[in-house]
Amino acid sequence: MALVHKLLNGTYILRKCPKPGVASCPFLSTRFADYCSSSLEKPVAAPGKASSQRKTEGNLEGHHQREVALDITSPEDKPEVSFDKAIKEEIKDHFRRLKDDIVNHWIGPEGRPLHEVLMEQAKVVWQFRGKEDLDKWIVTSDKTIGGRSEVFLKMGRSNQSALLYGTLSSEAPQDGESGRSGYCAMISKIPTGPFERKRFYDWSQFNTLYLRVRGDGRPWMVNIREDTDVIQRKDQMYSYFMFTRGGPYWQEVKIPFSKFFFSNRGRIRDAQYQLLLDKISSIGFTLADKVDGPFFLEIDFIGVFTDPAHTEEFAYENSPELNPRLFK
Amino acid sequence: MNPFISIMLLSTLILSTMIVTISSHWLFAWIGLEMNMMAIIPIMMKKPTPRATEASTKYFLTQATASALLMLAIIINLMYSSQWTIMKLFNPTASILMTMALAIKLGLAPFHFWVPEVTQGIPLTTGLILLTWQKLAPISILYQISPSINLHLMVTMSFLSILIGGWGGLNQTQLRKIMAYSSIAHMGWMTTILLYNPSLTMLNLLIYIIMTFTMFTLLAQNSTTTTLLLSQTWNTMPIMTTFTMLTLLSMGGLPPLTGFMPKWMIIQELTKNESLLLPTLMAITALLNLYFYMRLAYSTALTLFPSTNNMKMKWQFYPTKQMTLLPTAIVLSTMLLPLTPMFFILL
Repeated sequence: MALVHKLLNGTYILRKCPKPGVASCPFLSTRFADYCSSSLEKPVAAPGKASSQRKTEGNLEGHHQREVALDITSPEDKPEVSFDKAIKEEIKDHFRRLKDDIVNHWIGPEGRPLHEVLMEQAKVVWQFRGKEDLDKWIVTSDKTIGGRSEVFLKMGRSNQSALLYGTLSSEAPQDGESGRSGYCAMISKIPTGPFERKRFYDWSQFNTLYLRVRGDGRPWMVNIREDTDVIQRKDQMYSYFMFTRGGPYWQEVKIPFSKFFFSNRGRIRDAQYQLLLDKISSIGFTLADKVDGPFFLEIDFIGVFTDPAHTEEFAYENSPELNPRLFK
Repeated sequence: MNPFISIMLLSTLILSTMIVTISSHWLFAWIGLEMNMMAIIPIMMKKPTPRATEASTKYFLTQATASALLMLAIIINLMYSSQWTIMKLFNPTASILMTMALAIKLGLAPFHFWVPEVTQGIPLTTGLILLTWQKLAPISILYQISPSINLHLMVTMSFLSILIGGWGGLNQTQLRKIMAYSSIAHMGWMTTILLYNPSLTMLNLLIYIIMTFTMFTLLAQNSTTTTLLLSQTWNTMPIMTTFTMLTLLSMGGLPPLTGFMPKWMIIQELTKNESLLLPTLMAITALLNLYFYMRLAYSTALTLFPSTNNMKMKWQFYPTKQMTLLPTAIVLSTMLLPLTPMFFILL
């Protein structure tokens, strides 16, 4: 299924993910669609029309990621693609990446010499300078559960930043079980190696997250997920808040990793654990401040650095009353 | 942890290994291995962080699978020999299954994937128990069934372990993962010689345990878990940098340190058995191990890494942690090479 997605890089025949959800579909070529919506509302347009519409919009506004439901195939579209050739290219690409991986493994961690990695005190992890940088992110909103928020991601002015914008709507979906709604998020894709092997970031020598953003005054939540093989841990994340100012000036937000609090399945837990930095999988920004209306967030880059003045290891305590298990 | 529970768990751990080593009934040995696994899981989860929980889950799943395979092998052996005594196995299928089960327990390649993940998720002292004490029971069973182990399978797994232990540890910055890959490589050396001279396996295990104990105790003094933190040791305890370097080089098998002794003995034994290619390849792949130990030693002792000013005052203060047996362990892990003739005669 993943191979089908990769091959058809401009047109799609069938795009169904095994389960709806954002971070579970890393194989989607996100030039066009951003999430898997296999069971939801009626599609916006037939894919043929959608692609031509996208092309015109793309010409006008540059690279543009939209949320479109692509469940129904158009009978007029006949994509010309050579299956065998595409598969061979894919396999060759993976072997090339494997060879690079082996060479990088020999050189040192992350493909650089060890002393360079150890002496590093600041690192830019994500920056937005071209459309390939946007491909590393997934945007999602409560449309997946039937809500009415919209979110889009595009390159900002003169390709120096990314603009996340849209409309938040806290109108609950009429499905009889959701009482609340209204969220938009931008989540980084999990880094993969050759043969789509899951990778992670090792930020253990850094202690602060550094973001250069320009917002509209809304409070955002920064979420970090750890790399895990256990399925129950996929709901766990560490979060903190980022308050944006609405001004025309860029804002430098520094969040120490010790401030991140632990939550499981969206609920902050009584038992708090420190964010361990040696296996970071993804970072995300969520807006869910219950205020309907348009929003935007411009991001220049996201980095990590070592703040020598920050010596706190973990900002929260566990209490014996709430968690006697931790104090036995 | 409640001291009563702590004592109960530790005593179960010790008792279970003793049960495995002294038993002559297969079922009893299997029970000992199960008790071993059950006892260490709560020790690994002393602080129930999500990472420790994941490590314990992975450990439990792999060890339980290995125990099930082991039981299958025991029953096949029972079918063909109609007795439960622990001695050489009477059926090649049972032998292969049991070898694979014990390889999973030890973390031999290609069943090594759990070792770095589990070691990384648990505290340093628990990691020490995992990589030293937990190896005793499976090796004692391997020692007892050594006449019936398939040579090709064992040599393949051992050489693969040495290779993967060396290759995998190459660009790690997390010290617990480095120790895990070092354990995989050392297990490879131990099991290579098992079919030729099992006494050398025991010698290698003993020396490996001493060196790993020294290394973990040195790391636990400063609670260092990354290479960067280890490279700051010159600020806090300068004498430890020398000992860390010597212990690391000993683990790499450099003469005149202790770690050279098992490697020398093993290569000598293999060449006596007219196997020339294997010890050559093993000696060459051991260089990978030595390379990453040297890198650690370089960043710890041979260079002074830049650090912030306020760290340089700490060497004046007495260390608050207990240095259990550290001086003895350091002497044993660096200065035992002249006693090689004694070990040779004893074993």
